Amino acid sequence: MSSAGSSSSPGMRFYTVLWAGLLGIVIVEVLLTYGGLRPLALLIALLALALIEAGVALMYFMHLKYERRILFWSLIPALVFVLVMFDHLWPDAFRVTSMRLPVSASSTPAGGG
Amino acid sequence: MSHAELTMQHVHGAVGEERPYGVSTKKLVMWLFIIADGATFGALLFAYGYVRVGSPDWTKPFAFSPTILNAIVMTFVLLTSSLTMLGGVRAASAGRPSAIRWLSATMLLGTGFAALHLREWFSMIHEGWSPSHNPLGGSPLFGAAFFGITGLHLLHVVSGVIAIGVVTLLYRRGRLDASYIETTGLYWHFVDLVWMFVFPLVYLLNAR
Repeated sequence: MSSAGSSSSPGMRFYTVLWAGLLGIVIVEVLLTYGGLRPLALLIALLALALIEAGVALMYFMHLKYERRILFWSLIPALVFVLVMFDHLWPDAFRVTSMRLPVSASSTPAGGG
Repeated sequence: MSHAELTMQHVHGAVGEERPYGVSTKKLVMWLFIIADGATFGALLFAYGYVRVGSPDWTKPFAFSPTILNAIVMTFVLLTSSLTMLGGVRAASAGRPSAIRWLSATMLLGTGFAALHLREWFSMIHEGWSPSHNPLGGSPLFGAAFFGITGLHLLHVVSGVIAIGVVTLLYRRGRLDASYIETTGLYWHFVDLVWMFVFPLVYLLNAR
């Protein structure tokens, strides 16, 4: 468990190395963008790198690695579940466009509304 | 009070009941807020993804210079502010006065990020971009997605700078202890974490 003043969290040198690593990932992302990858491959690569960055930030910058494991298992799977549900349910929004009634002059009510 | 007694009080709380997560209430509440806010940004980014895939006339307006270059500088500034925030948390927990300098540097970098962001916004608005208008003739949903996602993130950055300022001031006056700096730091790192997705998905994937 970590708290303010805990001796278990690493020092500034370690954080500086992580910071440099994250900057390195940003440079790789930019290079990939202009590297002529196909859109899907680029999307997958950028998402994978962003997830690595997010993992480093969560576990080390936000000290989740040094907290009790139950905190991680209570929070992160719940967020992942919600995001997966978004991924499954958002396409349903496109169904709305096919549910619209066809608009034509003959379908307008006689009273004008 | 001995160190062991202090530790017991921290872990078990005032009434002697063990805290299941072993963290203070304010820290747990901040984590719950971060998870909820993460879901909010996740919803926006998923919506952006589907809108983009569903728009055959999607615009990719960002040239390397100045937009992508500006976004790289913004990323550098925000990542560095996370490092200075870590310095502030460590210094405050050790009781060192340098905590104020670290936190001031974090606020300065956060303000710099917001300034760079607003300069970019005003430049785009000057070119005719808005949440409902695309001056290049493509899908107007680009403006809605761009200003919506980056606007919400910018709001978080500005709120974070204000929060760090208030907490630093009260810490300096001795009214708050180091644990408040740590909790505020959690929020600031989360703002940085969100940008790690906004930068590649909103900027790099829309580069010409």
